[in-house]
Amino acid sequence: MNRFGALTLAIVLLAALVLPNFLKGYGIYLMSMWAVLSIAAMGLNLTLGYAGQVSLAQGAFVGIGAYTAALMMKAGVPYPLCFVSSGLVCFTIGWLLGYPALRVQHHYLAFVTLAFTTLVYLIFRNEEWLTGGTYGLSGIDRPSFFGLSTNGALGFFYFSFGIMVLLTAAAWWMLHSPWGRAFVALRENPVRALSLGLDTRRYTLMAFAIGSSIGGLAGAVFAPLVQYIEPLSFALDLSLNLLLMVIVGGSGFFFGPFVGALIAVLLPEWLRFIQGYYLICYAILVMAMMAFCPTGILGLVQRGVRLVAARRKAQQPTLLPERTSS
Amino acid sequence: MSAVLEVSNLRKSFGGITAVNGVSFDVHEGEILGIIGPNGSGKSTLFNCVLGQLTPNDGEVRIDGKPTTGMRPCDLNRLGVSRTFQLLQVFPQLSVRDNLILAGQEHQGTMFSRLFGASDAGMGDAASQMIDFFRLSHLAHEQAGSLSYGQQKLLDAAMAFMAGPRLVLLDEPAGGVNLTMLANLRERLQAYHAERKATFVVIEHQMEFVMALCTRVLVLAEGRVIAEGLPQDIRKNPIVIEAYLGH
Repeated sequence: MNRFGALTLAIVLLAALVLPNFLKGYGIYLMSMWAVLSIAAMGLNLTLGYAGQVSLAQGAFVGIGAYTAALMMKAGVPYPLCFVSSGLVCFTIGWLLGYPALRVQHHYLAFVTLAFTTLVYLIFRNEEWLTGGTYGLSGIDRPSFFGLSTNGALGFFYFSFGIMVLLTAAAWWMLHSPWGRAFVALRENPVRALSLGLDTRRYTLMAFAIGSSIGGLAGAVFAPLVQYIEPLSFALDLSLNLLLMVIVGGSGFFFGPFVGALIAVLLPEWLRFIQGYYLICYAILVMAMMAFCPTGILGLVQRGVRLVAARRKAQQPTLLPERTSS
Repeated sequence: MSAVLEVSNLRKSFGGITAVNGVSFDVHEGEILGIIGPNGSGKSTLFNCVLGQLTPNDGEVRIDGKPTTGMRPCDLNRLGVSRTFQLLQVFPQLSVRDNLILAGQEHQGTMFSRLFGASDAGMGDAASQMIDFFRLSHLAHEQAGSLSYGQQKLLDAAMAFMAGPRLVLLDEPAGGVNLTMLANLRERLQAYHAERKATFVVIEHQMEFVMALCTRVLVLAEGRVIAEGLPQDIRKNPIVIEAYLGH
């Protein structure tokens, strides 16, 4: 990351830390939701944006993580253990879901993951003895750490924001290791990658498993944020929304999901004044965005930066040798 | 001289079409074997069968005496076998340097040790050397996709050498490259061969390139070997002239 990027990141982090102090309860709740959805979209960006594996199952993994954490918390298990278990359960299921990706690609893979999302939704809805069925699970407590409660809106925002920063740092570190390069190779040219010694099978499974586990961890924060979970929250709508966040923010850009999640959370609020028409407006905005900037908002920013740099370069005076009088 | 690659009676069919029909040949250490033949003679299918991209219907492939028929390309690469493809196969979004690091990183430690190791997997110096060797220093940090076709061909070849392979199979390295770049590529391949004593197998249509680079030439037509010998002999062989050159 260059100096400009580091400075921008520092300003955004500082703003995110300070801003909630000037917001009311609902505003702080929205910021916490942004943090949770950013985590989930970051996991999908790893699977889709970096490794190129289409997935419509990220919402299901958020659900699995949320139910795992909620059930364990209600059984009296300490929150850190619930959090880690959500990630591990989703890692395992994600690894298994990766196997179809070894045989099918693109829209076929999208259908496999779509079927998985439907299956998970049906389990949440029908297995009442475990999940509470359509009634869901209520009364999920917010965790306390070393005597510090996250019960208040501000306390929970700082908790979810902290988790988001930690997971972002971990993802940054992983994507800047040789694994990140291998994931990009998997997306861009799996045949060549295989011929260069990359075990594309293991990397594909790993991309699915890690992306899913990050989704599960988002779910483990989502459950105590809303304190009540039910199957509909994790149906196909959530998976499609997460996909939209990744695409609108900029698929394959590290910070794309954060921008995408911000728009997905804030846009409905900004468009509230047009009441029922907001979904129509949202759809038109997304269609325009995809038509004119398929690389997402960060792709647009990158194009702008490159254009400015190219113009500056062109405007620089060419150094000519001084003329000598003959 | 020991055989690095032994191919015995290899056969590959697609439905009713037999693309490779009982091909056998050896490649010895330090040799540059050229494989030529008209379009559709089975050259690339032969490469793909040798390199695990396709499973042959019959026959055997041995690398250093070890049977490798049907082995996965990534496992073959770890045995020291590398390749380029007929069509350009670089990673366009990665920089030239990252393309080269990627081409060698899987030979460093295990998958998990690479996660916790250096971001260049200890291949940074080797990548710099390869960039210098293929005279790509001024492009090291450019995205591979922004390079000219000829420069990408050079990078493509350089990637095949990153892991220090014993055997390199080059599929039409000169395809679509202009004459200046072609001379540069040939000169770099010869220099690499002289320096590292690597063994090459080259499929190529550009006859001057094959004649100048290869120490032995094998001619394929309709999936069979029709001639084999020194480049100067192959050039005069009437069977080759009839089957390949068409006059």
